[in-house]
Amino acid sequence: MKSYLTLIVLFIFLAVGCAHSPTSIVLPQARSFPQPVLLASSSNKIPVKSSRKPVDAIDDEYKDDQNLDYANDTFKEERVEIADPLEPFNRAMHQFNDKLYFWALKPFAQGYNTVVPEPARISVKNFFSNLGFPARFLNCLLQTDFGGASTEFSRFAINTVWGVGGLLDPSAGKELDLQKQDTDLGQTLGVYGVGHGFYIVWPVYGPSSPRDTVTIGGDCFLYPPSYIEPWYVNRGVWAYEKINYVSLRIGDYESLIGAAIDPYVSIRDAYIQYRLKDVKARKEKSLLFKDGNVSLPPADQSLPK
Amino acid sequence: MINSVATAGGLFGPPQTVSKETGGLNTVIGYWYHEDTYKNGADHTIKQNEIYSQVAYGAKNIWEIYARIGVSDLKIFDAFSSTDASTTTDKNDFEENWEFFGTLGAKGFYPINKTFGIGALIQGTYYFSNFTDDVAGTSGSKPFTTDLKVKNLWDVNFGVGFQAIIPYGIKLYAGPYIYFSEAKVSLAANIPGLKYAGGNVSVENKSIAGGFAGINIPLAKGFRLNVEGQYSDKFSAGAAVSYTY
Repeated sequence: MKSYLTLIVLFIFLAVGCAHSPTSIVLPQARSFPQPVLLASSSNKIPVKSSRKPVDAIDDEYKDDQNLDYANDTFKEERVEIADPLEPFNRAMHQFNDKLYFWALKPFAQGYNTVVPEPARISVKNFFSNLGFPARFLNCLLQTDFGGASTEFSRFAINTVWGVGGLLDPSAGKELDLQKQDTDLGQTLGVYGVGHGFYIVWPVYGPSSPRDTVTIGGDCFLYPPSYIEPWYVNRGVWAYEKINYVSLRIGDYESLIGAAIDPYVSIRDAYIQYRLKDVKARKEKSLLFKDGNVSLPPADQSLPK
Repeated sequence: MINSVATAGGLFGPPQTVSKETGGLNTVIGYWYHEDTYKNGADHTIKQNEIYSQVAYGAKNIWEIYARIGVSDLKIFDAFSSTDASTTTDKNDFEENWEFFGTLGAKGFYPINKTFGIGALIQGTYYFSNFTDDVAGTSGSKPFTTDLKVKNLWDVNFGVGFQAIIPYGIKLYAGPYIYFSEAKVSLAANIPGLKYAGGNVSVENKSIAGGFAGINIPLAKGFRLNVEGQYSDKFSAGAAVSYTY
């Protein structure tokens, strides 16, 4: 019985990580690296705040997707390259994650979606997001983004007290307009000038790089639910959080891979662009690391053209 | 025998909801200091400090329902004082720290004109946990240790409030209320001279009516400050800050 439970927990554990990275098609041809990626130009000033105003709780839930610090259309596209020396391994992990998404995570999330109404799922997401305060706050401080740290602290205090322990998100309302500082340790290293390195797809955790892989450990260390004992309750909470999150995003991944000729490449490019833009946006907010002409991290610049 | 007790669930708040007219949530964090006296042969004063969080939903500026969860301490003065010269105790007062309680309430409001209105409220509180305190001493030169439990503490309040809105959106309100509360009190051992020695004793409030008055002040960015006082046998007061979504 215990081994069955372990298998189930492991299965759920593996399944939920696919939210980050599932893709479905493995192309046989090997690609030489580095791979070109379209990247937004750094020549334009990066706006540090979304101009979008939240409307209500349910609309607010989806604003995270648009609430990117760089979210506007002023970027010009430029070509950068990303090394992908582990492409065969990455494609295998990609497919593994894809299957886990379609065979396990999505069915779980759809069932959960049917049973639990959307406002309740949004509240659960808010609750877990509020618990992510220590990591976001510390990373803002490490990036010398003291405004962001102050915003995070205010958000945590207000959402915990008036948001009923974080279930509600009054801070993101029209009145307060304190938006979440969605940052992590990988971005902090990027702000310090540490480059991406090569592309890697982790089973369960999905697309990453050596730099961003540090985030997994760092965020775990600063995430209170990680300390729940015993371990299987900890993993259960983690799995529940991911299922809840995916239940609010069903269809996003399908849309992404549905429009792609090679979903692996599409996701890789999207991920790298997303992370590079994140780092640029964070640099713009940094007191010490901000520069007028934001450049690519050295490791990326050093890649062979 | 002591047969009265009073509990409290916090502020009543203004009779009119602070939620948006179209309907919406408001949340509150509040502190309430409660003091009351109960009597039967001897007077006893109780004190409570409560901290609570509330979620409310209201609409049309006329109705609201709300739920609270909070923690409260309880102090009963002279609960362990002996009436028998052969019994001595190491302390006189019953004290227990934070225990959880929940409150449910509803309000209805009728606006007479733009300034004045009248409303009614009902509010009930239940303590999920027992309050327990130990006492030690000697009875007939024999040492003893026992504990007193206050169980199933609940109350219900019904009030009518009159409200006036003055400039800057400040709401002043006042009105009478009636309340009923009950709890089971038991001492673990039958010690001569100690109260509640007769096993499970049901205790109720003696005074059933009181009055309340308060002020609700708009702050900034959707926050409001509410300060309120209630008087029955003793004066109780508290403050809360609400946020309207």
